[in-house]
Amino acid sequence: MTRTLMAAVLAATTALVTPAMAQERGGTMNFARYDGSRLIDPIYADRNPDIWMVGSLFDTLLRSSDDGKSIVGGLAESFEVSEDGKTVTLTLQSGLKFADGSALEADDVLFSLDRARNGDLGPWSGMLGSVSDVTADGNAITVSLSQPDPTILSMLATFNTAIVNKEVFEAAEGATDQEKSAAIFATASAGVGSGAFYMCGFEQGASMDFCANEHHWEMGADGKPLPYLDKVHFEIIPDDATRILKLQAGEVDAVEFVPFSRVAELDADPAINMNLYPSTRIIYSPINTRETRADGSANPLNDVRVRQAVNYATNKDALIGLVLQGAGQPMTAPLMSSSTRLASKLDLYSYDMDKAMALVKEAGIEAGTKVTLTTLAGSSDDATIFAALQQMWAPLGIELVVEQVDGATRGAKNRSGEFDIHTYGWVDDVNDPSQVTGWLGYSPVRNAVGTGWESDKFNALFEASGTEMDQAARAQQYADMQKIYADAAPLLFMYETPFAVAVSTAVDGYVQTPLGANIFSRATVSK
Amino acid sequence: MAGLQYVLKRLALMIPTFVLVMIIIFLLVRLLPGDPAIAIAGDKASDADLAAIREKLGLNDPLLVQFWLFFTNTLQGDLGRSIMMRTSVSDVIIDRLPTTGFLALFAVSLSLMIAGPLAFVAALNRGKWPDTVIRTVFQVGLSMPVFYIGLILLTFLAAKLRWFPVGGSGDGFWGQIHYLFLPAMTVALYTSAIIMRNLRAAIIEVLDADYVQFARAKGLPNRLILGRHVLRNALISTITLLGLSIGNLMSGTLVTETVFAVPGLGRLMLEAIFARDYPLIQGLTLTFAVLVSIVFLLTDLFQSLLDPRMRLT
Repeated sequence: MTRTLMAAVLAATTALVTPAMAQERGGTMNFARYDGSRLIDPIYADRNPDIWMVGSLFDTLLRSSDDGKSIVGGLAESFEVSEDGKTVTLTLQSGLKFADGSALEADDVLFSLDRARNGDLGPWSGMLGSVSDVTADGNAITVSLSQPDPTILSMLATFNTAIVNKEVFEAAEGATDQEKSAAIFATASAGVGSGAFYMCGFEQGASMDFCANEHHWEMGADGKPLPYLDKVHFEIIPDDATRILKLQAGEVDAVEFVPFSRVAELDADPAINMNLYPSTRIIYSPINTRETRADGSANPLNDVRVRQAVNYATNKDALIGLVLQGAGQPMTAPLMSSSTRLASKLDLYSYDMDKAMALVKEAGIEAGTKVTLTTLAGSSDDATIFAALQQMWAPLGIELVVEQVDGATRGAKNRSGEFDIHTYGWVDDVNDPSQVTGWLGYSPVRNAVGTGWESDKFNALFEASGTEMDQAARAQQYADMQKIYADAAPLLFMYETPFAVAVSTAVDGYVQTPLGANIFSRATVSK
Repeated sequence: MAGLQYVLKRLALMIPTFVLVMIIIFLLVRLLPGDPAIAIAGDKASDADLAAIREKLGLNDPLLVQFWLFFTNTLQGDLGRSIMMRTSVSDVIIDRLPTTGFLALFAVSLSLMIAGPLAFVAALNRGKWPDTVIRTVFQVGLSMPVFYIGLILLTFLAAKLRWFPVGGSGDGFWGQIHYLFLPAMTVALYTSAIIMRNLRAAIIEVLDADYVQFARAKGLPNRLILGRHVLRNALISTITLLGLSIGNLMSGTLVTETVFAVPGLGRLMLEAIFARDYPLIQGLTLTFAVLVSIVFLLTDLFQSLLDPRMRLT
């Protein structure tokens, strides 16, 4: 009996110890980025290179589950939404610390959430528009809402609600909140966040260093605090070819945004693991649906049949083959990626030239009708898309011409409506479909991504879904919105792409989430 | 005394040049299509956020007011705050200037080291095979785009042979020599081709000059003829070309620093343009204008040392 018990204890001990023994700690991971961070502050981060790094330095009260389908605890060990949907109660874990060892307390949470919902500060305050008050009693945090908000848990798991150190923040140099934030960032202050890392080096536009936070609350497989790495060193290398050469030369351990034309080559390299992480990234083209163009001429794309025709005439599989070398899939949900919650799975204008021809005939499109596709200058993807669409749409009588501009000009054209159709893309920032749906379809926000499309029924459904706490009813509202949007075709629905990150075989455990966040807390580099 | 007056006159001439540069760059930046507020806040920003940014940056003020502010602040040494970097433009430029300066000097040195001896070899063997080989090789270098030369060097010397790092700028003098060798060589291959062609032609012209023939007839040693008479006179036009090449080299850093991931002024300029960072674009352009003007001044001074006829012009 004793021997059996000893064997069991030994087996259990071995099982517990083995992962610990196998878990390599220490070392530096060198990561080549396409663009540098400019300000990693939860409420001011407004570009992906900033947003995607917030989670490494700061923690949120809640988090998205690994599969992105639900919300789980973060700094808060438990949470509860009241029956009327107007109160969220959260309980903070005990013993939480910032990276400088100072205690993370309820005061810091109140300070951070007040900053996050202050409309005079960051651009994301609207995401907490339903919050009327935040109070604390010991470790219990109460978030009171002015109306039921089905998105509130997702918002409390979003980067802009991450917790900052009130004391460090208030002591920072600067007269305004933004100046203090910039001063903290510039001096790479250790105590401002509680994430797995703190920033320990920064050279604007050139490099950045994250060092391990020994006070981090999350434990690794070996029972010690995460992260496993001592440090992550980032180098900013905008040129794709140079970034990849760096990896091939062994100077860095990982490179992000690998062009899809290089994926197969890197996949064949035995020293490299070519990872394609599922993402919420969709590539689409807004179509100007206004009756007339900005110059006053008649707009053929105002006719829904023409918009449907160009969608049917676009062979998405061929585009995916040409642009992504097969590493993608056609959009199946008209308003979002298929991995976003509540995404419908529709047959979204599968290639059908007969239907396309019938629709343009019915719409009375004359041969030689000119349509301009606005693309990004210097983008080989956009050049390929234009060349393919020009050929695909020619049988419809549409003569596609190209206009090449840079990103800022394309953005301005989108807002002013001075375009026929232009290339565009989207990655969700929030683990909830409301953000992308508002962006693409709800006309009061941004004219339905600049298309000028407007549907009262769609807008009413979107507004109702903003307070609908019944999950089934909300799902139905989203299904209805997606059906309306698909039929109206204010977009050229194209494809979804993964995040292509190539890492050395020495690296394990690095992850990029569907929202784009770079997660280094469980990454290791074999020595 | 005449030399000092010449320098002062040249310095005075720089003032209207800088004023003109300020006016041109101020207007050109504002003629760029695209809203800087969108470039700053991103496509997802609301119209209200964009309006607030425009107001904060003074973009709603009349152009004359904006220019006067830029002009008077610049005269006081204040180039403004970078929109994308959220810090002083002067600080950013001072931070990056040494790297670009080192790269430029390194590239010029390599250009001279390559072009000088080969131009002599080609000129002294005019029409023979060494001349043909040298001219052909340099013609190939001249006809290839800088970024392509850069990628070839990176692929073979850095990624395959691993003799040099793929990117970055390195620390300390030897670190910088090691890291910046490939970008400097990329620029030097192009620049040296131009200098070599010019210097070869100038040497040939001087070799045929009467005073050289006279020196030969006098029985002066060949080394002395080449060093004292040929090189000195052939260099006059080459130095002008070198000055112009350094001006071109400054604009070439936009491509070179991007391909080789060198955090210098060229790469910064490219980022600033894409981000519509008006103060940074203006500050960088002005810096480039000052640097190029200094190079031109030094070129003229050096030329006047070589050619006394130029001292009083």
